Amino acid sequence: MIRLSNWLVFLCLCILGVTMRAGFTQAGAGASAGGVPLRTDRQASVETVLDVGVVIFDSGIPEDESTHSKLGIFPEIRKSEAKFMPVILRQVLIESGAWGVVRVLPEVLDSSELLITSRILHSDGLRLALKIKAHDATGRLWLDKVYVDEASQGDYPVTAGGDPYLDLYHQVANELLTLKQGMSSKELRNIRQVGLMRYAASLSPEVFAHYLARTEGGAYMLARLPAEDDPMMGRVNRIRNQEYLFIDTVDEQYATLYEEMAPTYNLWRQFGREQAIYRKSYQDRVTSKERRGRRGTFAAMEQTYEAYKWSKIHEQDMDELALGFNNEVAPTVMEVSGKVFRLNGTLDTQYTEWRDILRKIFVIETGLTPDA
Amino acid sequence: MNLSHLPIKITILLLTCCLLLASCSSGGQSKKKVVLQGQSSDNVDFTGSWELDYSQSDNIQTKLDSMVRELRHQIDRGQGGNMVGGSAGPNSAPSIIGLARMSDLITRSPLLKIKQSEHEIKVKREENFALTCEFYAGQYRSVETPVGTEICGWNGHQLVFKILLPEGLSIQHVMTVASSGGKLNIATTVVSDQVSYPFTLNRVYNRFVPGASGFSCKMTLTKGRVCSTQSTPTPTPEPQ
Repeated sequence: MIRLSNWLVFLCLCILGVTMRAGFTQAGAGASAGGVPLRTDRQASVETVLDVGVVIFDSGIPEDESTHSKLGIFPEIRKSEAKFMPVILRQVLIESGAWGVVRVLPEVLDSSELLITSRILHSDGLRLALKIKAHDATGRLWLDKVYVDEASQGDYPVTAGGDPYLDLYHQVANELLTLKQGMSSKELRNIRQVGLMRYAASLSPEVFAHYLARTEGGAYMLARLPAEDDPMMGRVNRIRNQEYLFIDTVDEQYATLYEEMAPTYNLWRQFGREQAIYRKSYQDRVTSKERRGRRGTFAAMEQTYEAYKWSKIHEQDMDELALGFNNEVAPTVMEVSGKVFRLNGTLDTQYTEWRDILRKIFVIETGLTPDA
Repeated sequence: MNLSHLPIKITILLLTCCLLLASCSSGGQSKKKVVLQGQSSDNVDFTGSWELDYSQSDNIQTKLDSMVRELRHQIDRGQGGNMVGGSAGPNSAPSIIGLARMSDLITRSPLLKIKQSEHEIKVKREENFALTCEFYAGQYRSVETPVGTEICGWNGHQLVFKILLPEGLSIQHVMTVASSGGKLNIATTVVSDQVSYPFTLNRVYNRFVPGASGFSCKMTLTKGRVCSTQSTPTPTPEPQ
């Protein structure tokens, strides 16, 4: 009976394993950083390079606080990771040379020529799993996949500018590049033009909305184009650049956070990996250990209790490390958050207000009435 | 029966059954089924530093004698079929003494430091691991690991920690604070499937205020524990 139940459990685990693998991309599992080389493309013409917006990651923290410790999620660390990881992805995309300006965005900007969003599914010193989506300004979906990478002994200690999961980011950048290279110059130019017109339409729908059309599937396409020397488009471009300048200020704050957080965060991941490996080997040793005495005797009970006690002490060491991380990184995050909050305030509440101002400037310059 | 090769869930189920049987057969005492909650019935606060009061705590020898007497009564009443004090088997002398020694080992911490917030409590015990519990409305907390299962929650104004371990061993700590707030009792019950009566030891703690150290420390990841001197306010001289 027990043997049968063991087989059933084994079978279920196999099925679960196969199911979980489906749709996942393992980025150089077990390989040291650098196992997946980054493909580059520096031949792209200015007309066909796309600007990329990497939105701050969704931290993936469940709303139900009671699940956090069971899932091994340290919320403050996860919130910091959500700001830290997009900076690495941005850096990798820049290094590939295949893209125009790559910005970290505090929120979704629909008119981005290529927009990348991500949700952290799992993150610790052993494994990183990210769900990454990318779509272009026309609404075409480029990527919607889960990427998984495992760190190995060789990934630690993390060298300056490195990351244990660099393979994962390389994998994402390589796949985006492959997709881009599969497109014609005409398609890429079209994405850029749709992006610009979507931005223009967001400033003045009355004037620019009819330049765009939607397909049945909801994708954006150009219905027609304004004249090349259209003065209105000149103004749109100028206001768009103003907005980019604004976003670049926010982006710099994320880069500063990354630099200040990296040494502590890398240490946290290294310790986390060591702890997890030790705990696993400890549990294996405990289950295979010979019993010290007959069941019910003090020696046997003490052995059982000590095994549990040390397992708890290691678990609590991780809590202490998390506290150490928060004590060290929190002031930086708060400082940055303070700035970002101010800017976030602009981007969330004042941003709308600010874009209204831009629209008003646009209206004044064009002589249009807002409701025209 | 050797449980070591059974899946952990089956082991836990068997242990829970053993625990229930043990509590049913414990001297015919009428025991209400305890349902743990995620919230206390009153706003009980255990926060603070506590030191063990040996004079008010149970004497282990007295408790052991009382337990042996109770086991003998059980046999006399026909509730337990085994001889008390043999060299092997259920209710053997090594098992009974082992249970008493285990209770002593588990409850040895002379100092406790407790931090409690709306959703969490952490009982730091000197020379032992901390007991931690998270409280959320409508649910008690249960954490399973390969080396044991932990269940905690409120039973009215009492905080209960249950630890179910392999090999038929389980531990329960029931924490009660006096209405004055100055005394804390921890009743620790150790149950073994080799002894038909649980062993309970009460440890009484007195609240104390730790003296100012003159420095404050905080944990950091890159530098370990970092301490800095506190600026203690100097008393202002009375105006003449």
